[in-house]
Amino acid sequence: MSLSTNTGSVGTPLLPPKGVSARVLGGIAEDATLSAPGVFLIILAFILPIGQMLLLSIEGASGGLTTEHFTRFLGDSYYLGIVWRTLRLSLLITVIAAVIGFPLAYVMAHVGPRLRLWLIILVILPLMTSVVVRTFGWMVLLGRGGLIPFTLWKLGLVNRNFTLMQTESAIVIGMVQVLLPFMTLSVLGVVMKIDRRLEEAARTMGASFTATLRTVVLPLAMPGIVAGSLLVFTLSVSSFITPSLLGGVRLPVVAGSIYEAATKTLEWNFAAAQSVILLVGVFLVLLPYLKLTGRRHG
Amino acid sequence: MSTIIATRRVVLSAGFGLTVALAALTASGATSPAAAREKLVINSYGGAYEQIHRKLVIEPFSKKYDVDVQVITAYSADALAQLRAQKAAPQFDVIHFSGGQEVVAAREGLIAPIKLNELSNGKDLYPFAVEGLSRGEGPVHAVAAIGLLYNKEKAKKPEKWADLWNAQYKDHVVLTDLSNSYGLLGFLMMNKVKGGDITNADPGFNAVKTLLDSAVVVATSPEMQQNFAQNDAWIAPYAQDYAYTLRKAGLPIEFVQGAEGTPAVYLTANLVANRPNQDLAKKFIDFSLSPEVQAGWAQELRYSPTNKATKLDETVAKEVIYGPDAVAGLIRFDPVAVDANRAALVERWKKLIAK
Repeated sequence: MSLSTNTGSVGTPLLPPKGVSARVLGGIAEDATLSAPGVFLIILAFILPIGQMLLLSIEGASGGLTTEHFTRFLGDSYYLGIVWRTLRLSLLITVIAAVIGFPLAYVMAHVGPRLRLWLIILVILPLMTSVVVRTFGWMVLLGRGGLIPFTLWKLGLVNRNFTLMQTESAIVIGMVQVLLPFMTLSVLGVVMKIDRRLEEAARTMGASFTATLRTVVLPLAMPGIVAGSLLVFTLSVSSFITPSLLGGVRLPVVAGSIYEAATKTLEWNFAAAQSVILLVGVFLVLLPYLKLTGRRHG
Repeated sequence: MSTIIATRRVVLSAGFGLTVALAALTASGATSPAAAREKLVINSYGGAYEQIHRKLVIEPFSKKYDVDVQVITAYSADALAQLRAQKAAPQFDVIHFSGGQEVVAAREGLIAPIKLNELSNGKDLYPFAVEGLSRGEGPVHAVAAIGLLYNKEKAKKPEKWADLWNAQYKDHVVLTDLSNSYGLLGFLMMNKVKGGDITNADPGFNAVKTLLDSAVVVATSPEMQQNFAQNDAWIAPYAQDYAYTLRKAGLPIEFVQGAEGTPAVYLTANLVANRPNQDLAKKFIDFSLSPEVQAGWAQELRYSPTNKATKLDETVAKEVIYGPDAVAGLIRFDPVAVDANRAALVERWKKLIAK
């Protein structure tokens, strides 16, 4: 996207006609030089491994090509159940992150710059600690006798042995905490750019605070919410540490299943096939978004 | 992947050839340098195990025989893969396995047979530790026994594997996922107790199914610890050495050998085939079998000795498989059959436990 805007500005009629070709060539060389490390890294760390993975996923036991790994996955209700759980939980996580993240970002955009800085630090701070450490914290809070089950028991809502560990709720709670910063910061970037006078105008015209939020701020913040949602969704379908620690082995998700196949039973081909399925799934979600934003930016 | 490794090996061997040629050039005419110390290359398993391995075996051995011992960290499966890749030019002298890989390695000719009389400690070893010698495998130098861990402050002491289904432990049982090798052995034992065998796991799976509603399933050792520490777990099939780890963490956990038998992880030391200094390698293996070294393993990590002459103090003796009676309970599942069935068992297990 940024590349196209660059070349567009180079070709503007303001430049003297004689220098055009030289400028364009120079521009391409500069672009190529600047992007070389990134492109090199992408080829080395993304394109090559993905190609290798695609190959592995269709490689048979004796070396020939086969679709058996895909049929094994797609033809088994157990694995389809894992996919369904992964999608369902990821959607739930995304919705909850958006519901919490949007108001938070809105407030952050409206407070003074000093307080905003502190709020941003607060939001980013958890990212500085390892996911594993934070997840272990949740294990203590959610486990039998942990703060949350203990409080619920004291309130008379549950029995003494109640635990949230190894439940889907635990996965959702842990993942929302891990991914909330991505949502909040995505929305914040967009909300900050909304002209405050639009809201003031709406209020002057008699709209209530909630009506202003609903009809003015929310539609204008939509690009941020969509971008944040995509980030949260793709990160949550592909994460396995938090689900495996909080959900346990009895609530498998796709990424965890890939990890098991690759490291425990050493079925690399099957692991690769599952990864391809996950990748295609994520692409299918990204595609409408790319089309949408592509149209918007011309 | 395989091509990359292959290329690297080509580069390595080319580089090696060059070095040799250079060395030959520079050394020609000169007198031979002072005899370099002999060197052994072995594998160890990393982490706390490797630290103790160095302290008990590697360092004392290299001091005693004035040799260098180079340690390469490689788990059993990885070590076997490396041996296979190096078949034409092996790089290890002694290879340690914990997952029964010695059976495969011996069959493929990757490791060389050792005669019992070549080991000074051979005569003192329990028969189970040397029965593999006739098949070309190395001796068993330590045992990690699998039995029942229980919380002695909260639960009655279990006696047999079948007690796992006893109603008094309901809601307090912890089972281990089959992707964990202790979990796999524990499951095979439950299956055996219920009348199954390695090719027929139906009894085991059916029996586990009846436990699932009131049990927690974990995949890793830290989760096991968390369940005993925090989640009111009372009983779990797991390893004896880990019971010691839990006690060191302050938990009131004891280990019991189930009356029906004690499956175990058998740690073997194997002589790699086609290496020049096999005599020294045999000395190293023999050293690992000495009563002093084995007492050290029991003292430090609660691995059970395979040498009858091992002297343990009373506390340690009670916390490992010690003495002829205890040793008689040891069971070994055929490693080749286990390996062949592992993936299928793990998948069936996952489908069984998934909610």
